[in-house]
Amino acid sequence: MSAENAKHIHGYMAEFTSVDALLAACRRVRDAGYTKTDAYTPFPVHGIDEALGIKPTALPWIALGGGLTGTITAISMQIWMNGINYPYIISGKPYISLPAFIPVTFELTILLASFGAFFGMLILNKLPRFSNPLFTNSRFDGATDDKFFLYIAADDPRFKADGVKRLLTDAGGGAIDAVMDDESSDKLPRAFVTIAGVLAMLSIVPLLIAARMRVTNSSSPRFHIFYDMDFSPAKDAQKSTTLFADGRAMRTDVPGTVIHSGSEFGPDYYSGIDVDALAKIDPARAERLVRFNGQLPQDGEPTGNPPVTPPADEPVTPPADEPVTPPADEPVTPPADEPVTPPADEPVTPPADEPVTPPADEPVTPPADEPVTPPADEPVTPPADEPVAATAETPAAPAVVDTTPWLTENPLEVTRATLEKGQTQFNIYCAVCHGQNGRGRGLVNERAQKIQATSWVPPSSMHQPQLYDDKYPDGKLFSTISNGIRKMPGYSSQIKAADRWAIVAYVRALQLSQNASEEDVPLSARDAIVPAP
Amino acid sequence: MAIAVTNSLDNTVERPGDRAPLVLGNTTYHNITESVCRIAETPPSKLWFFGFFIASSLATMFGLLIAYLLYMGVGVWGNRSPVFWGWPIVNFVFWVGIGHAGTLISAILFLFRQEWRTSINRAAEAMTIFAVVCAGTFPGIHVGRAWLAFWLAPYPSLNLWMWPQFRSPLLWDVFAVSTYGTVSLLFWYMGMIPDLATFRDRSKNKWRRMAYGILSLGWCGSSRHWMRYEKAYALLAALAAPLVLSVHTIVSFDFAVSQVPGWHTTIFPPYFVAGAIFSGFAMVLTLMIPARSIFKLEHLITIRHLDNMCKIILATGTIVGLAYGTEFFIAWYGQVPAEQFAFINRAFGPYWWAYWTMVTCNVVSPQLFWFKRLRNDPKLIFIITIFVNIGMWFERFVIVVTSLSRDYLPSAWKYFSPTWVDWGMLVGSFGLFFTLFLLFCRFMPVINMAETKATLSHQLRHANEHASH
Repeated sequence: MSAENAKHIHGYMAEFTSVDALLAACRRVRDAGYTKTDAYTPFPVHGIDEALGIKPTALPWIALGGGLTGTITAISMQIWMNGINYPYIISGKPYISLPAFIPVTFELTILLASFGAFFGMLILNKLPRFSNPLFTNSRFDGATDDKFFLYIAADDPRFKADGVKRLLTDAGGGAIDAVMDDESSDKLPRAFVTIAGVLAMLSIVPLLIAARMRVTNSSSPRFHIFYDMDFSPAKDAQKSTTLFADGRAMRTDVPGTVIHSGSEFGPDYYSGIDVDALAKIDPARAERLVRFNGQLPQDGEPTGNPPVTPPADEPVTPPADEPVTPPADEPVTPPADEPVTPPADEPVTPPADEPVTPPADEPVTPPADEPVTPPADEPVTPPADEPVAATAETPAAPAVVDTTPWLTENPLEVTRATLEKGQTQFNIYCAVCHGQNGRGRGLVNERAQKIQATSWVPPSSMHQPQLYDDKYPDGKLFSTISNGIRKMPGYSSQIKAADRWAIVAYVRALQLSQNASEEDVPLSARDAIVPAP
Repeated sequence: MAIAVTNSLDNTVERPGDRAPLVLGNTTYHNITESVCRIAETPPSKLWFFGFFIASSLATMFGLLIAYLLYMGVGVWGNRSPVFWGWPIVNFVFWVGIGHAGTLISAILFLFRQEWRTSINRAAEAMTIFAVVCAGTFPGIHVGRAWLAFWLAPYPSLNLWMWPQFRSPLLWDVFAVSTYGTVSLLFWYMGMIPDLATFRDRSKNKWRRMAYGILSLGWCGSSRHWMRYEKAYALLAALAAPLVLSVHTIVSFDFAVSQVPGWHTTIFPPYFVAGAIFSGFAMVLTLMIPARSIFKLEHLITIRHLDNMCKIILATGTIVGLAYGTEFFIAWYGQVPAEQFAFINRAFGPYWWAYWTMVTCNVVSPQLFWFKRLRNDPKLIFIITIFVNIGMWFERFVIVVTSLSRDYLPSAWKYFSPTWVDWGMLVGSFGLFFTLFLLFCRFMPVINMAETKATLSHQLRHANEHASH
């Protein structure tokens, strides 16, 4: 202890081997008036706070501050992110829905309160502190094993080396050692600083590269680690592909697929055509109708169905062997005669209504269909074939005769229920264009007229004689509803066949309502008729 | 002097007016230090190397499988319509549940002043951390494009121009599990600081001393430090106790907030929490029973500790059984056909084997713990805890897979089959877990020495008071 010099002494420590001895010594030192004292123990000793006169800590307040910060951060973050900056519109719920924000608020409160408790403890304890004069005494290693140390610091106002030593001895302390100031540098070793500095510099490099990439342009393509399906070899429908051995982009139906509709009532019901009669004049077309509307095909590969480019007469369905939905109404011509139209046009608008191309031998009669009336429902203009479309698109097409043996009778039993069903369906699907009274002045048409939509083809009025059932049989009306005409899309995918037939029945009733004689009205109701002024 | 009273080895007997000793034998403070430090200071045994070799091989396989998954895409899993959650989510819920016992032991038992927790809390907390590591891996790779998993965080993204959806339980889950992992890590690390200082002070090697010196942050055992440290520990315990209950509650919201029959039930939060504690205690015992025997820690982790944990397993196992029954009752009482079907399908549908495995392992097997003799037999406890682990994995399987594979539309039903990658990842996650645990045993204080010494100190004082009467 020759090196003991008052200037360099940091304090005195005394060793104890039991908790009770330590506590007794602590009380004695406290009563002697020392304040810069501390005890070092391998485990928390209860009662030592009182024995040493240690004041309570402010740590709980730090944890509370952390917790409140978490609460406020979480609530304001969620309100701002989900309610203000990017409002999520979800099933009519309020943007600021506090109950849903509680879990995250709770978690962040706990998280920041825990940070407050942990880091607050470290900061109040001035940890980490790797350089400590006590550590220079190898005896002190026992403080984390089974020894207890009482320490009186040299900067205590009552500190006098001899007095302290005597006090500690009297208190029962063994191995009283002076703790010297640690003269060695408390700086980090140079190697640490260098390595940490280099690592810090290196870690900036990727950030700088990323920042530079963000603000500069490059002509080379983006570098992809993961392709994210950006370069998927998928192909459009109707195009060939290398993905499958047969080259088809669209897959055919699984063999044995059951047709969803059409198996129940036979082809007549689903096509509106008397197929037996058709078979006599156009067997090929009749066969296709049967295949698509009536029953399963006999073989897997339908005729005239080359693998890659589908024939134009099956526009809606893929080149499937057994299409699930009935295709647009079969054009009369076999595929070979039909000019192949661009596939993209097909699904919505079939090229023309029943383009019966075989030259007709009969004298040219006005085609029964599509005398599209101008919006005003005056007496119908002479039935030119598609007057509006014709002027807009093609020079007057040669008039043709419809030889299709349409069903002339509604296969449904027409009852009040059927008519009401038809009315409902008509008002849902048809009235938007055709108007509830069938005069072709639905809201969509009115709007199109108002904005003078150039591509608009006005819908037909139901009340022109060309559409009465003598000229436009029920089957043909059914077919038009199913497959569309001109700009009108087919509704077979949206309206069930029975409902389409109900609409047909309702349209007939609608026509009758505007074209009836007094005899058509039941006797009981005639009194209610008010003569027109 | 720090000499414990000599105890008979059976400390499971209750003596009225007397506290059962929790540290056995002629144990001194120094003995405790020696017993625990010896594990890390002596070269590991062949058994350790053997275990580590197997575990780290499986963990490596896990890593390789994740790389394979990232390269190939999530199609390598068995997740197919309609079971898109499959094994990754089963494993996630399983591992999160395992973690809960650690926090329960360290936080809730601390708040209840259950001193017997002191010799098991360290290992249990370590188990929590490692289980959360395993758990966090699965949703991370299950998001599909795992390299974009950071989109889960609410950060101002220049790619998305949008924020996360804070009304979604899946996002709550992100916050809950990450908070849970972080707070558990803090709690674990803070508890280790004094013991790491012990390691530091016993180190003969300069580098070892420096490493433990840095880890122990210069801890010197000052009474002022201890006072703040204990306050911080109590605060963390008070914060972690509701946290541990919230985490599995929020995990259960992932299911309960959806409309899937069998998931959409209000019983899920308490049921999940009880199940988590149940499975966690089973895993603690699965780890501790071999560890106490291999590392010769029977005087610190006594039969009484095992006995107490068995009682908790019995209690929570019975709660879980009650929950299974309640689910069926509510399905009947609620009169929702889809819900009724979901539960009948669970028990008697194509997954009946999973359901009855679950019931046997979780409800029936813990009932053996009603008998004290069975509670005090470490080998038998070990076997039962293995059953409980299996049962709890199956519980999550039953919940996730049976409900998804058959919900409302029979046309959308499908039987789920795992692929070899699913199997590999389940086994691999166990490899990761055991690798971390074996490393922990090797390099970290397995038992909380400071707290055990404090327990011994109380025991001595108590014994002295008795002697002076």
